[in-house]
Amino acid sequence: MSTTKSITIPINKSQSFFAGALAVMPLTIAVIPWGILAGSFALEIGLTAVESQAMSAIIFAGSAQLVALGMIKAGIGIGSILITTLLITSRHLLYAIAMRSQISPLPLKWRLGLGFLLTDELFAIANQAHGNDTPAQHHFDRWYALGGGLTFYVGWNIATLLGIVAGQSIDNLGELGLDFAIAATFIAIVVPTVKKPSILVCVLVSLTLAVVCAVFAIQAGLLIAAISGMAAGMAYAKLTNEGGNKIASEHKDDTL
Amino acid sequence: MIWLIILSMAAVVFVSRHLLLEPKIPIRLSKNTLTFLSYSAPAVLTAILAPIVFVPHGELAISLYNPYLTCALVATLLAYITRNTLLTTVLSMGLFFFL
Repeated sequence: MSTTKSITIPINKSQSFFAGALAVMPLTIAVIPWGILAGSFALEIGLTAVESQAMSAIIFAGSAQLVALGMIKAGIGIGSILITTLLITSRHLLYAIAMRSQISPLPLKWRLGLGFLLTDELFAIANQAHGNDTPAQHHFDRWYALGGGLTFYVGWNIATLLGIVAGQSIDNLGELGLDFAIAATFIAIVVPTVKKPSILVCVLVSLTLAVVCAVFAIQAGLLIAAISGMAAGMAYAKLTNEGGNKIASEHKDDTL
Repeated sequence: MIWLIILSMAAVVFVSRHLLLEPKIPIRLSKNTLTFLSYSAPAVLTAILAPIVFVPHGELAISLYNPYLTCALVATLLAYITRNTLLTTVLSMGLFFFL
């Protein structure tokens, strides 16, 4: 992490690849209920099987896909869907900044490939120590990242396919409460990131407004709640002089 | 229309992931922008999860008889104590399907 010069091709590429695949496995298992939900929900609101699979294969962004499906179901236009997608996906800008020193010197095909695969999960494992590394001497390993990223991609798409197949044969799949999987996963991600009072303020404002908007069926609730939460967190940090210059490092232990 | 949505969403997502990995793109995000963005993950994820938990069937359900809410509280405690994503997710989902 600390030295960009240490980017070396490992002695054994396939070993690194499988080490990455193994590291991402727990997160891949945790994402299966979501994938099933993404596939079955897409069918339920009227997408074809191919379109449903294409969302996971081409977009490859669980939260953005599920939120967009909800908006398609509600008949909301493409402009609002794209603005919401931009907001949901904006955290990847931070991941990219954090990994820029490691990935930007690589050849174009690696930049494009790892860029496409840069999910919360890949970010989480790529910044963990592996093999005989201690965190202090950890260096970025492109094959390890590729193994992790591809494994997660395949897992997400298989889970989506399961959802499509199950959705065609089981009615009321949505009533099984698969949506709780989203809530549980996000709680597991958000709670450990609340390390400063300003983040707690951000979460509480976002939570309250999201609930109020949902009760009153306000379509732009996600945007209103998230942007207000971000603004409230930032305002609190400025007012209390919390010091907000640890941006990239804060996100290293995001787990998804 | 669905294909237009899929392809344009894919473009937005890919650009956000890839853009700042490009060596030719200078980073011009100001410190304020970065600070603002640092709140995006907790704010966005909370805004997605809160309605699922508190408004599961279109009506506000702040009650211990709402399994979404009770299991979310358990998940919050588990996440706070263990800081383990997988454990939190699996245990709270197990409890949810059990209830």
